[in-house]
Amino acid sequence: MSTPEFNEEHRDALQEVANVAMGEAGAKLAELLGTFVRLSVPRIEISAATQVPDILGKLLGSDNAVTAVRQSFLSRIQGEAIVLFGEAGCAELADLMGYEGAFASAQRREVLLDIANVLVGACLGGVFRQLGLELGYSAPSLLAENTLADRVIHTESLNWRRALLVEVNFRLEQGAFSSHLVILLPEHSIDRLRESLEQMMATL
Amino acid sequence: MNVLERPELLEFIVDRANVGIFALDREMRVLLWNRFMADHSGRGAESVVGRNLFQCFPDLPRRWLEKKISGVFLLKNFAFTSWEQRPYLFRFPHGRPVTGGIDFMQQSCTFLPMLDAAGGVDAVCVTLVDATDTAIAHRKLEGALATVRESAQCDGLTGVFNRRRLEERLSEEFYRVRRYGGPLSLVMFDIDHFKRVNDVHGHLAGDEVLRIIAARVAAAVRASDVLGRYGGEEFCVVLPGTELAGARIVAEKLRELIASEPVVYKDVALDITISCGAAQAAAEHTVWDELVRIADAALYRAKGEGRNRVCS
Repeated sequence: MSTPEFNEEHRDALQEVANVAMGEAGAKLAELLGTFVRLSVPRIEISAATQVPDILGKLLGSDNAVTAVRQSFLSRIQGEAIVLFGEAGCAELADLMGYEGAFASAQRREVLLDIANVLVGACLGGVFRQLGLELGYSAPSLLAENTLADRVIHTESLNWRRALLVEVNFRLEQGAFSSHLVILLPEHSIDRLRESLEQMMATL
Repeated sequence: MNVLERPELLEFIVDRANVGIFALDREMRVLLWNRFMADHSGRGAESVVGRNLFQCFPDLPRRWLEKKISGVFLLKNFAFTSWEQRPYLFRFPHGRPVTGGIDFMQQSCTFLPMLDAAGGVDAVCVTLVDATDTAIAHRKLEGALATVRESAQCDGLTGVFNRRRLEERLSEEFYRVRRYGGPLSLVMFDIDHFKRVNDVHGHLAGDEVLRIIAARVAAAVRASDVLGRYGGEEFCVVLPGTELAGARIVAEKLRELIASEPVVYKDVALDITISCGAAQAAAEHTVWDELVRIADAALYRAKGEGRNRVCS
């Protein structure tokens, strides 16, 4: 769905920026973890805020329980990034990130918060750096545990009408670990993003 | 006044801020160590700055922390730790030795990449916040919630599940069996002539009988069985995975257990017996109340046939 304010041209520009950012992020994550990683081509969509739970449900399969971590970011543009994890492959990744010993639930949470932070930072940092914006981040926190994907976000708690979704699938080339990064921008930030994209396009 | 024109003011703020601030280079050498870190670690800047962090503090979780910090250098990205998952990095004493119940200062940290003019990262700055008070408050809250949860589920007098929780568990088991199959039984029992105990020995004696009977039964049933006080002197035991024959055996065992030993209250030995009704869930039952109704009818027959017995 395109809107008069955020048209196909903006979308294409954002897609371009996001593709470059994910390429860089993938290389950095591979270096950090010492293993090959796959980041999908970002999928960009503007939707009604009330549709977000359905979109997440379709993305991950509405029968699958997920753990979700949220992290807010802010500069001139603010929003929230949500990382959704399935059950598989987490212990493997924990080892790659230097975690040691028993894989208890507190540690599992810490690993997921850590991965979410790394993913969000690598992906968002790349996007916004190209737009000339330096982001600040809040500490990541758990949004939901063992919850069906379409119930992670409650639409009653959204106080805006439209949302920009940028979705990336991150997985390790070997092993079962896979997660989805979803970036949500509320309306006023979509407007600011559009301005930043226009400025960038003007300088090309 | 512009703070930037007074660098000594900035220095003062960094040094005296009531949060830990330190910085590390790529080799994990300490570049900065503020007063908070010095006071809490007992090691002043002069003995730490210029040295490797892990040599100064061998207790630190080295492999993990090095990976975390190298991630900040590599990704040029913030990183965080929270006391909720990892209570502390440094073994700092905290200021609540009396009210704490917590071993070390609880810490939340933020790792910031320090960008140089060329956009590279040459150092990582770490801020460390004392979250001990929050952790203690959180613990108290968790404790209070557990108490509330328990008192909402348990009978105040006997400590076994109350009727609401008992029915909840029975209905869960009932619908699980309807969906996945397998047997499910219910034993309902009632203290014989309980009114007489109250009338002759007083209500406090009656209360003690209820407490002791509940405790004996609770100790005798299996961990998977669910005991609850249904009301007055009536109790139920939900028996998952148990057929009627097994339920009768359980009921007989409980009857025997109670009848074999008197309840002693203030040096008076009271001979107490119970009557039991047992029932098994069947395919034609569509709601769990039917199981209660059948067990209750069997209990009624046990009473009619002379008490201190099991009917089904």
